Amino acid sequence: MKFYLLPLAALAIPLFANPYTQFIVNLMLVYVLVAVGFNLVLGNLGQLAFANTALFGIGAYTAAMLMAHAGWPFWVVIVPAGFAGAAAGFLASVTALRGIRVYYLAIVTLAFGEVLRWSYIHGERLTGGTDGLAVPRADFFGIALDTETARFYVFLLIVTVLVKAVSNLLRSKIGRAIVAIRDNELATASLAIPTGRYIVLAFTLSGFVVGIAGSMFAVLIGRVLPESFGLIELILHFAMVLVGGFGSLFGSVLGAVALTGLPELFRRFPGMYEMFFGGLLIVFLLVQPRGLAALAARWWPALRERYYRER
Amino acid sequence: MFALQLALSGLAQGAIYALVALSMCVVYRGTTVVNFGHGDLVMAGAFVVYLLVVLAGLPFYASAALAVVLLVVLGVAIEIGLIERIKAGPHVGFALMCIAFGYVLRGIARAVWGREVLPMPRVFDFPPLLIGELVLTGDAIVIFAAVGVLLVAFFALFYRSSAGRVMQAVCQSERGAALVGINVRAFHAAMWGVGAALAAIGGVLVAPITLLHPGLGASFLIKGFAAMTLGGFGSFGGAVLGGLILGVAEQLVGGYVSTKLIDITAYLVIILVLALRPNGLFGRAIAEKV
Repeated sequence: MKFYLLPLAALAIPLFANPYTQFIVNLMLVYVLVAVGFNLVLGNLGQLAFANTALFGIGAYTAAMLMAHAGWPFWVVIVPAGFAGAAAGFLASVTALRGIRVYYLAIVTLAFGEVLRWSYIHGERLTGGTDGLAVPRADFFGIALDTETARFYVFLLIVTVLVKAVSNLLRSKIGRAIVAIRDNELATASLAIPTGRYIVLAFTLSGFVVGIAGSMFAVLIGRVLPESFGLIELILHFAMVLVGGFGSLFGSVLGAVALTGLPELFRRFPGMYEMFFGGLLIVFLLVQPRGLAALAARWWPALRERYYRER
Repeated sequence: MFALQLALSGLAQGAIYALVALSMCVVYRGTTVVNFGHGDLVMAGAFVVYLLVVLAGLPFYASAALAVVLLVVLGVAIEIGLIERIKAGPHVGFALMCIAFGYVLRGIARAVWGREVLPMPRVFDFPPLLIGELVLTGDAIVIFAAVGVLLVAFFALFYRSSAGRVMQAVCQSERGAALVGINVRAFHAAMWGVGAALAAIGGVLVAPITLLHPGLGASFLIKGFAAMTLGGFGSFGGAVLGGLILGVAEQLVGGYVSTKLIDITAYLVIILVLALRPNGLFGRAIAEKV
């Protein structure tokens, strides 16, 4: 029950927000899913990965292409966007079955993500190339999503359902296996847990969540561009997970809410964005490597993650 | 003839990749940290040379030497100030730290440089060399000469000198090396210094022949990884060979298939090699320790 307090309280936000702040809040909801999905791999599995922007991008492109070229409504395309993200997560990590781990796997995910981004740029007929692809007006079961408020309620519903699903997943056998692999893969394998398969599964599930976030992003921004899913975006994803707290669901929410609005502030100063987020990562790695969630848990022990061992 | 000419220009490009891959290998073998910010060190080297030559008006060779010294200091500072402090943490931590300082460097470059793409005045103004019908440009001659000298010096130092034997000892076992009285911390700092110096030389060599922009580092990082992966992660000779092969492969793909594919040749090489031959073309499998 505790879990639903936050989304219930959030229901009141449109009463206070103007359209711009509402847009930022909607973007926060998108990034909550991004951070939750990325954290599955980075925090829970403990595997460095660079494919997250690619998973985000493939979700956004799948949604945009199905809406623009095939005329499917938004509430339908959420599902293929999630599956496209899952498929990309699977492909990015499938070499794990051949024993590729740690840095090698991270480099494969980096290469995979860049190949995908290359295909957005050169697949002009489907993706619009560097000009991007405009996303038609979205609707959710007949309700037009043409105001920020309407989008907010739909996004809040999707995010709540998915975060609850991930929360349940982490408490299941699968979630514990994933955390066990992070803590000691060899010991986990000795318990007859097929570690390679669980690594691929974690990437696939992460891709599903992040792919859905991508479809929401496409609808919110109204245009998908290849440059939205490059290395500049990646540092934001890393920062959200690290600042929030590795392996903490509540932390992912905190990180996304804290950082979503910041890139907008740096738009007019070239280089500020990279310096700020690079600096932020350095400060957190040195001073608070467990992120804001660990700070919060110190004051409010109920927030401590149950299956997360402090190291 | 066309293929040979492509291969020749590919080798010149590949020599730079080889240098970058070797410098990443030095840091990896010496400290077990894969430096995801290494490309940005190459960029920083090129950037410093540009500033000194174009804005401060120093001669090229003096600027190049200054840039290398500066990058050595930076490399050592990164190891002592950032990496050493989180040594006890998980590998994701080091990698993120490297990514973070890479972004900071890129941000500084962008703040100074803005969004423009800057050409540097030509430095290596030698006449091209004709071998039969093949043309070897002046830039390529300088690159071959510089990289060749560096490689010979590096391998002689690593495999023949007593300092090299210390390096090999720490690479094999940090604990064992510490037990026989080798200062492992100082060694790590030195390896970061050497890695950064080689990266800076790579940057100095590319600065006069390519357009410079702050995002330059990302592509060098990938080429370096692709070369290292081809050669078997962590093998010095393999990294050099891998770099040369990658350079030639890029040119051949560009010449015979499509120039669009040049950009992603390195990525495809990484994916294919790790999917088909995870230990690289020249690497050996290493048993996992319990």
